[in-house]
Amino acid sequence: MIASIAWKNVWRNRTRSMTVISAMAVGVFAGVFTIAAMNSSVVQRIEEAVDIELSHVHINSRDFRSDHSINNLLPAPDSLRNRLHTFPEVEWVTGRIILNGIASTANKSVGVVINGVDVEKEKRMFRLHEKVIPGTGSYFEAKTRFNTVLVGEKLAKELNIIRYILTPEQMDAYERVRFPVSLTEKVAPLFGRRFITDKKFTAALDSLLTAKEKRKYGYPLREAAWSFREGSRMVLSFLDANEIQTSAVFRISGVFRTNNDMFEASSVFVPEMELRQLTGLPVESYHRLICRLEENGLTDTAVPAIREAFPEVEVLSWKEIQPDMAMLADMMQQIYGVFMALILAALAFGIVNTMLMAVLERTRELGMLAAIGMNRRKTFLMIMLESLYLSVTGGAIGMAISGIVIAATSRNGINLVKYSEGLEAMGFSAHLFPVIDTPFFIITSLLIMLTGILSAIYPARKALKMNPLEALRTD
Amino acid sequence: MNVIEIRNLHKIYDGSEVKVHAVKGVNLTFEEGEFAAIVGPSGSGKTTLLNLIGGLDQPTSGELLVGGTDLSTLKPSALIDFRLNNIGFVFQSYNLIPVLTAGENIEFIMALQKKARRERDARTLELLEAIGLSDRIHSRPAKLSGGQQQRVAVARALASRPKYVLADEPTANLDGKSATSLLQIMEKLNHEEKITFIFSTHDPRVVKMARRVITLEDGCVVSDETRNPEIPEK
Repeated sequence: MIASIAWKNVWRNRTRSMTVISAMAVGVFAGVFTIAAMNSSVVQRIEEAVDIELSHVHINSRDFRSDHSINNLLPAPDSLRNRLHTFPEVEWVTGRIILNGIASTANKSVGVVINGVDVEKEKRMFRLHEKVIPGTGSYFEAKTRFNTVLVGEKLAKELNIIRYILTPEQMDAYERVRFPVSLTEKVAPLFGRRFITDKKFTAALDSLLTAKEKRKYGYPLREAAWSFREGSRMVLSFLDANEIQTSAVFRISGVFRTNNDMFEASSVFVPEMELRQLTGLPVESYHRLICRLEENGLTDTAVPAIREAFPEVEVLSWKEIQPDMAMLADMMQQIYGVFMALILAALAFGIVNTMLMAVLERTRELGMLAAIGMNRRKTFLMIMLESLYLSVTGGAIGMAISGIVIAATSRNGINLVKYSEGLEAMGFSAHLFPVIDTPFFIITSLLIMLTGILSAIYPARKALKMNPLEALRTD
Repeated sequence: MNVIEIRNLHKIYDGSEVKVHAVKGVNLTFEEGEFAAIVGPSGSGKTTLLNLIGGLDQPTSGELLVGGTDLSTLKPSALIDFRLNNIGFVFQSYNLIPVLTAGENIEFIMALQKKARRERDARTLELLEAIGLSDRIHSRPAKLSGGQQQRVAVARALASRPKYVLADEPTANLDGKSATSLLQIMEKLNHEEKITFIFSTHDPRVVKMARRVITLEDGCVVSDETRNPEIPEK
């Protein structure tokens, strides 16, 4: 009966209750959706890192990270691989040859890490093959007599393999933005000109466009002018098994684009066999074994077990290889907590105010209830339930709206193309797919209930302090 | 059998500037099934005395035993429980819970007593029939007249099967017809359920129907008269 009265009391003043419920709903939605959007960038970053760059577990000789010399090979990799497959968490294992080298074109030279990969296995373990930019080739599918290399867009730009050539056809074909005719006329002097760097093309654009046009169309114009000539080549230099400087020409098999500029700029991929021939490394010799686990959540349990089984080598999880990313994920959890706590604290003040008004308006009634025999515990319970109903109703509406909007936006994503340069430089995607996990939903729901309960304490204490006789005399 | 015993009861309100001696050495006893009116001019201490009997206020000195219990010895929580199970209150301005229906207002006090649903429903219907409002069981107070609301308030006071009903100016806000009807109901319930009714009132209609009239003046009992009441024709 107390619960029923409390619910009816909530609706005594519909306008006031609806106002506070709406505020609660909007606040919860704003908090949850913002966190979902922020979370998506971290989740996407981690997923990309695991699916494209790192996978879950790396195994190499104990001093390989400090000594990258070509002969610092993994001891007995074949036996290690077989033993790794006995772990139920391990799904795939592949080996890599890893060399430090220099990538050069006629214009520039850049230090890179050359990864010699088993193409078929890597395609099963990583999603890098999905990241090859259309029109730049493929993931080692073309038949050629040349050595082949897969490079990142950032490296290709640095080596001037990517050029910028703007044409009216490219502007028409660009899908993300429709360029107005007036803009096409303005940039007409650039048509057909070849710019070997992003910087030079941007400088040319700057001389033709207004600041507003640059902000709006600068990035899309650079994207539209982006140009890659198939069959481009580069030279890779590295030490062979005898530690003698070796160089070879590599035809660019494809250019990949990820959200991580660092990875794009520093990693190149070459089929393992080509690298073996050039270096003289024996078959089945690797610098690193990489394991893909059944799922990411198994990393924390599987890695210690693998480490214990292989004391002779170094076993590292992706979290240990990129501690900044693991720290970012942890830090973001804390930020979400603080953010949600601030929103709920602000909403709590609204509930306290509403409940205080409700209590003060009902002074005489509360006096009557005490007079006829309603004890303090039941009075407290009634007021607490009213507060709880307000917060839970508002919270449930807010959570429902959040769920719907997150589901809708997670399908098509939120495009932050304007900020893509900055975001991608930090390794984050400019296309966000808001995502919230179930525990967050549950914890937030519990926090909303807790807010309701805590918000009731002050008004309820106020009600309990009333003298029934004095309360009954109130007009 | 004496159910309420008041011995040399004093109540002094000690304000910041003046002391008000609202009840001065009152000695009274009430027996089971009494239908008594406490009358007197405004400020004579009627309501204060009623509040003291009901345990809503604490005496400054003296002894007050209700059903053998000295209310001044009870802790606040025990006093609330005592009121719930022993005393029914009828207030001048009805004080029904506006969000509950007439039936729910009556049932509520039994819910506080943790009585079973079936018992609550039966008692609610019985009382609504007794006050002639069984057809208004689902009406909220705002849909009832003042007289009907006060009748529901009386039913609520009786729902917990109290030993005593304390009514403070119960007819003050009612027209003549409603007041008479209400008094007849209370008198009938007094007879049927042997509940002690004590009124604080100015209303001559209540005085006429009371079997005992206690007159207070300046906090003192100046007369205590037991007589044959004048029950109006129904």
